Amino acid sequence: MNLRSFPVCRFILQVAALLVPGGERAEWLAEWQAELWHVWHAYSRKSCGRFHGGQAVTAFCFGAFRDAFWLRRNNPQSIPRRVFRIGSASRCSLSLALLTAISLSICLYLPGARMAIQPSHYPGADGLVTISRGGYSGTQLPTIEFGDYQSWKASTRHLFTDVAFYQPVHKRIHIAKHRSADLSVGRASENLFKLLSLPVSANAGDGRYGARLFLSQRIWRGLFGGDPGVIGSVTEIAGQRVLVAGVLSRDSLQLPGQVDAWLLEDERHLDILPPTSRGFVLAHMRGALPQMDGWRSMTVHRENGNDVLFDCISLAQQSQLPFTLFLFTLAAALITLPATTALPLGEYPRHSGPLPWPGKARRWIFLSSKFLLVVPLVFVTSIDVAYGVPSLGSTAAQYIQLAISFFGLLFAFRWILQDQRKRCPLCLRVLSNPARVGQASRNFLAWNGTELICAGGHGLLHIPELPTSWFGTQRWLYLDPSWGSLFSDARMPSAGLV
Amino acid sequence: MATEPKLSHTAAMILQTIHAGQVYGFSVMEATGLPSGTVYPAMRRLERDGLILSKWEQQSIADAEQRPLRKYYKLTRAGVATLQAMHKRYPLLQKMVSDSEVKNA
Repeated sequence: MNLRSFPVCRFILQVAALLVPGGERAEWLAEWQAELWHVWHAYSRKSCGRFHGGQAVTAFCFGAFRDAFWLRRNNPQSIPRRVFRIGSASRCSLSLALLTAISLSICLYLPGARMAIQPSHYPGADGLVTISRGGYSGTQLPTIEFGDYQSWKASTRHLFTDVAFYQPVHKRIHIAKHRSADLSVGRASENLFKLLSLPVSANAGDGRYGARLFLSQRIWRGLFGGDPGVIGSVTEIAGQRVLVAGVLSRDSLQLPGQVDAWLLEDERHLDILPPTSRGFVLAHMRGALPQMDGWRSMTVHRENGNDVLFDCISLAQQSQLPFTLFLFTLAAALITLPATTALPLGEYPRHSGPLPWPGKARRWIFLSSKFLLVVPLVFVTSIDVAYGVPSLGSTAAQYIQLAISFFGLLFAFRWILQDQRKRCPLCLRVLSNPARVGQASRNFLAWNGTELICAGGHGLLHIPELPTSWFGTQRWLYLDPSWGSLFSDARMPSAGLV
Repeated sequence: MATEPKLSHTAAMILQTIHAGQVYGFSVMEATGLPSGTVYPAMRRLERDGLILSKWEQQSIADAEQRPLRKYYKLTRAGVATLQAMHKRYPLLQKMVSDSEVKNA
């Protein structure tokens, strides 16, 4: 056999040793290296060929990885094993954090939900309103006919200082020679950015082109490779020559509708839209709406005698509404909670030994962490469901958010208290092995109910079936360490000793 | 009532091999024909369950033979009892790894 391969085999063993828990590593490596020495000499003595001998020794070394993995998996002190143990406090907290992260990811992925949680960042947003058909405010679907917009431009001067229109449409944009892409383009009136107080250079375009294109960051980087030379160039959108006038500093303007690029057109070009074509309308009110009442309704009398109701909702108010609704449901759920479950966590007598303060603090920190994780989880989930579906009207979305938030919080708070009551106060694991002490035992024990046990051997929980004057609530009984031999998990450290 | 420990055929074979006198990991491998990735984890499991015991040999013995220290294994009392129970469950176990085969290995 090749003598040079012996250090290679030793190296393989040293790599495998990294998988072994630190406390056992030195002894494990010593055993495997000693065995390797014997394997090496055994195959050197044998008359098998150099290749087959070397292969057998290498195979022996690679077996060390399986052994190392076994030790790692079965190490009772390993952090993943402790953290992910079924029923442990860490597992519970991590599961809640994971659910919150998933829910937040869904929220950021869905345009409607994402817009609902973002605060408004337009200067002077108090005076800015979105106008939509009654009951459809905040929806992702266009509801205003272009004909209405045209008539409002002239007839609502007493209400609004300025009115802007935009309509998301799918159009093919020419990127380079023989290269084009379909984008969602927001065809907008020229005054849209001015209305939103977005800093657009006045000389962005020299008037030769009737339309100016503003790209989102994502499209500029994705389709044009972030090339600064594209600004000022002329491109074609569905056969119309337009000037690429700039790149927006952010991807979304936080307006209803999904838009990749904005095409600001002068009146001459925009007026060719059919009057029944639908879009979104923004307006700036004369005098800001009161902060607490950012909503107005507008009734339009049609020529045919019908009255049509429109909602004017402040952009600032619109961005705060989901959070305001959630705060309301949070208060309602906290008030309702005592009617659905008992608030006390049970009787916990003094521990036989001195229970260190970190142990007590850990129990309360765990309870607080559950509340802190559950509240954002319910909030984001309610936003996902209510605002993630674009076809829902704003009123329907608000009702859905109210219902989900209230019932979600109420059930979550109930679960938090019930879960806390059924955990060991020392190791915070969920108690197991419920044993029901039946009615017959009442004669002997003067008590009947259910007993739960801590798998770590820390104690027993007695839950009375019928609360009495001498046994009104659940009661914890500490077991001293001499009981430890009966429990397989008794070596598990308790709270405060970790 | 004593419960019979649940051992796989492989684990029972390793137990029988150690009982027959092959007290090192590599010699168990040679006697059973099992790869190192099976033998060593199985021995760790048997040791964890209290069926075998491991012990490092004396330094003087290793020094005299000019080789590294080896760890050797032996059956505990519980291991011997379990092996006897395994003989009833796997009647061919003794024939598969008999003393003579082990000595020749």
